[in-house]
Amino acid sequence: MAQPLVKKDDDRDDEEYSPFLGIEKGAVLQEARVFNDPQLDARRCSQVITKLLYLLNQGETFTKIEATEVFFSVTKLFQSRDIGLRRMVYLMIKELSPSADEVIIVTSSLMKDMNSRTDMYRANAIRVLCRITDGTLLTQIERYLKQAIVDKNPVVASAALVSGIHLLQTNPEIVKRWSNEVQEAVQSRAALVQFHALALLHQIRQNDRLAVSKLVTSLTKGTVRSPLAQCLLIRYTSQVIRESGVNTQTGDRPFYDYLEGCLRHKAEMVIFEAARAITVLSGVTTRELTPAITVLQLFLSSSKPVLRFAAVRTLNKVAMTHPMAVTNCNIDMESLISDQNRSIATLAITTLLKTGNESSVDRLMKQITNFMSDIADEFKIVVVDAIRSLCLKFPLKYRSLMNFLSNILREEGGFEYKKAIVDSIVILIRDIPDAKESGLLHLCEFIEDCEFTYLSTQILHFLGNEGPKTSDPSKYIRYIYNRVILENATVRASAVSTLAKFGAMIDSLKPRIFILLRRCLFDNDDEVRDRATLYLNTLGGDGSVVETDKDVKEFLFGSLDIPLTNMETSLKNYIQNPSEEPFDINSVPKEVKSQPLVEKKAPGKKPTGLGAPPTGPTSTADTYERILSSIPEFTSFGKLFKSSAPVELTEAETEYAVNVVKHIFDRHVVFQYNCTNTIPEQLLENVFVIVDASEAEEFSEVGSKPLKSLPYDTPGQTFVAFEKPEGVPAVGKFSNMLRFTVKEVDTSTGEAEDDGVEDEYQLEDFEVVAADYMVKVGVSNFRNAWESMGPDFERIDEYGLGPRESLAEAVSTVINLLGMQPCEGTEVVPSNSRSHSCLLSGLYIGNMKVLVRLSFGIDASKEVAMKLAVRSEDENVSDTIHDIVASG
Amino acid sequence: MLLAVLIANFEGNILVERFNGVPAEERLHWRSFLVKLGADNLKGVKNEELLVASHRSVYIVYTVLGDVSIFVVGKDEYDELALAEAIFVISSALKDVCGKPPTERLFLDKYGKICLCLDEIVWKGLLENTDKERIKRLVRLKPPTEF
Repeated sequence: MAQPLVKKDDDRDDEEYSPFLGIEKGAVLQEARVFNDPQLDARRCSQVITKLLYLLNQGETFTKIEATEVFFSVTKLFQSRDIGLRRMVYLMIKELSPSADEVIIVTSSLMKDMNSRTDMYRANAIRVLCRITDGTLLTQIERYLKQAIVDKNPVVASAALVSGIHLLQTNPEIVKRWSNEVQEAVQSRAALVQFHALALLHQIRQNDRLAVSKLVTSLTKGTVRSPLAQCLLIRYTSQVIRESGVNTQTGDRPFYDYLEGCLRHKAEMVIFEAARAITVLSGVTTRELTPAITVLQLFLSSSKPVLRFAAVRTLNKVAMTHPMAVTNCNIDMESLISDQNRSIATLAITTLLKTGNESSVDRLMKQITNFMSDIADEFKIVVVDAIRSLCLKFPLKYRSLMNFLSNILREEGGFEYKKAIVDSIVILIRDIPDAKESGLLHLCEFIEDCEFTYLSTQILHFLGNEGPKTSDPSKYIRYIYNRVILENATVRASAVSTLAKFGAMIDSLKPRIFILLRRCLFDNDDEVRDRATLYLNTLGGDGSVVETDKDVKEFLFGSLDIPLTNMETSLKNYIQNPSEEPFDINSVPKEVKSQPLVEKKAPGKKPTGLGAPPTGPTSTADTYERILSSIPEFTSFGKLFKSSAPVELTEAETEYAVNVVKHIFDRHVVFQYNCTNTIPEQLLENVFVIVDASEAEEFSEVGSKPLKSLPYDTPGQTFVAFEKPEGVPAVGKFSNMLRFTVKEVDTSTGEAEDDGVEDEYQLEDFEVVAADYMVKVGVSNFRNAWESMGPDFERIDEYGLGPRESLAEAVSTVINLLGMQPCEGTEVVPSNSRSHSCLLSGLYIGNMKVLVRLSFGIDASKEVAMKLAVRSEDENVSDTIHDIVASG
Repeated sequence: MLLAVLIANFEGNILVERFNGVPAEERLHWRSFLVKLGADNLKGVKNEELLVASHRSVYIVYTVLGDVSIFVVGKDEYDELALAEAIFVISSALKDVCGKPPTERLFLDKYGKICLCLDEIVWKGLLENTDKERIKRLVRLKPPTEF
């Protein structure tokens, strides 16, 4: 039960005490018995209802029995003729939202009110009925609701329309039948009726593009009475614009004149909505943008904080795509840095950081320094992120920006804030070589007085990788060794590893590092001692632990190559099923992509948008592996190499929803068909898929596993397995037919008939493609990985990709064709660029690492040329990648 | 969707909270978030001076009226300007019911009437009535005058 945060029970002066002082649910429920009195006291009843509302509004909940009891008593109050009490009763019933079996008690009273001659009884009865109604009742009252929509009393019409908006979620077929009446209400002279009618009509027709376009065309020419409705219309208009595109002959954009006209509307709400709509037009030109920016600039100096906020928020977004268009507003935004409302000030700063030029950086930083001290951490993080982007944009300014970051790093702040700063410094060090030495020193200073273990270990790890490559590595040793003396065990263990890295990379430091490591042998933590022992043996050992210098470096600097979540799950499984065999790290799946299984989706759960943190990715690979290993026929196939994302084989909203997941093994593929039966009146039995592999010559079917029963809305799986030549990336096309026995189900009892009929259902075809043999595995530092792979098996060639829609489209086509993981954000192509480089990494079947460098160029006629360089651990694999591109 | 209307006193005690389309498990989080937002920013703010913030994809507009602070939270079409409209209607209705910017005691004395007003203004997350004169009549089950 949700408890109110704080109950209202303060005990200040007697005169100040609350009328609800000491209110208690049990007592109020007792008081509610007055509703049953034969002689109703309207005033007293109203007071009790008020108390009940107070409890509910504070987050108190009633048990089912309590709610039912109160509900039944409240219905007795319909006998009273007191108007004030009747109004309260309507509200109370809505708040209690009785269950379907109780509603019947009150429907007749409400139906009576709904046909009452008193308009206000009608309006309220409609709202209550629609709140508590179900489908059957709704068909009974539909006639009255349709009348109410066109009622001449605006309150009645609005009540019916707003009810319609809510009912559309639960009973769309019924509400869609009202479109003629709603259409009529859109023409109403009452402003609010028009607003509600427009919202409902658009929702009814939202999937019918033509109808929405017609609606917009007629209303933009006619009169819209309320600013709220006008805002809705602008939103719908911008949707129509988005879907229709620019007129290629005249270059005009449909409805732009309407939007531009709205910029001169008298209501600020409408002006803002129009300006915002213009700024988000796709491919908006400077000419189109200018009038919108002008009104937003005026709003920046408005006396109303809401307008300032709205304007600066919109300009902030524009600055991401059209920074030059916003520069005219810079002076106005600078004055907002001192705005009392911190949200506005932060937005102003981050916008300025995006639009500022190199010469204004220093001035801006001075202003921000004063500002930083009096804002909350969450705003500071936004500013830090903006500064990082600015520094990457103007690398020459790294000195002042890095100084700024190091200064704020020394000030008070929570973990998230400090982490944002550290991450920024790390990125700057990596991307701006000149910033490396000073950046590393700032980080060293920070760990001298860092309260966050996570950050200390992260910095130590980074220091170990980057420090040995600097001009004077020895100066970092003091900071690292201080950690061994002063910190907790986790940080000490990290520091030991970092020391070892320095020792491995720099021979001149090795003897001195050895002295330090030997001191760690007496640490009171076993992990620290173990690490010190291990490193002493690997670095200075006799070859019993590792054999060559290369091995030492591989051991110290090599990445784990396995996603940690997969490692964790495998270890847990290992512990749960004890075995004589030692744990084999090669048995851990390397697939990083995790797409939730269709059958694992929570039914009917919609995102609320109110910030519930997204649930962590479940390891799909493990789930698949578990499912497959539970099927005896497939256990001999060996280790699962990869499972594809589900490929839909039916269109949305068909009777049976089927998708397929392709599981790739060394010598086999298994197709997992995830089936859902969406017809409540049917039960499917003995469900299986007939696969025609005549266009996949290298595959031969070796087995299948049908699904015994597929009841309504309970997903199930059926499998078909194929054999293919070992290690060969065989490709082909598969046609599919779903076969099953269908039995009728009586939905009232849930029982199926005994006899069924055999039936089949055509599914879409799908293909096994080359990308199915590639696992997306990222590398943290592409250049290092590329260099350490070496040019031995490098293959380079050039390709003409022909005319393409855009460079971005060409890049994403090649990425999808290869099925590899884009690295370092290189999959994003800046708009208007004429050339682009993209870095990809992956693991090819047979556990072969592959790295790819793609260089694209596009000419004026949109012809795209591409240079493809591949490095891998095997020359055949490098050649195969070229074959894939050549045949794709 | 107008996700929440919350009215609290200066100490952060909740007087009225109405959520729409917010799962029960997230309400406590929102309640504390809004109360903290008010505590951090509402000191010294004049009656009906609006403050605004955004949190993820959600907008928040809030203000002070007499002894109470009012918060409205919305998303999508209920952006900061639509919320400003909603909070304006709520404040006007409150002043109307209480006769002035309410003290906490006055607010609680008129609690039932205030609930009815809120019911007329926001219904299940949609703004229904925006005119205070009309609202005043509707809570007494009187038809609007302009009709």
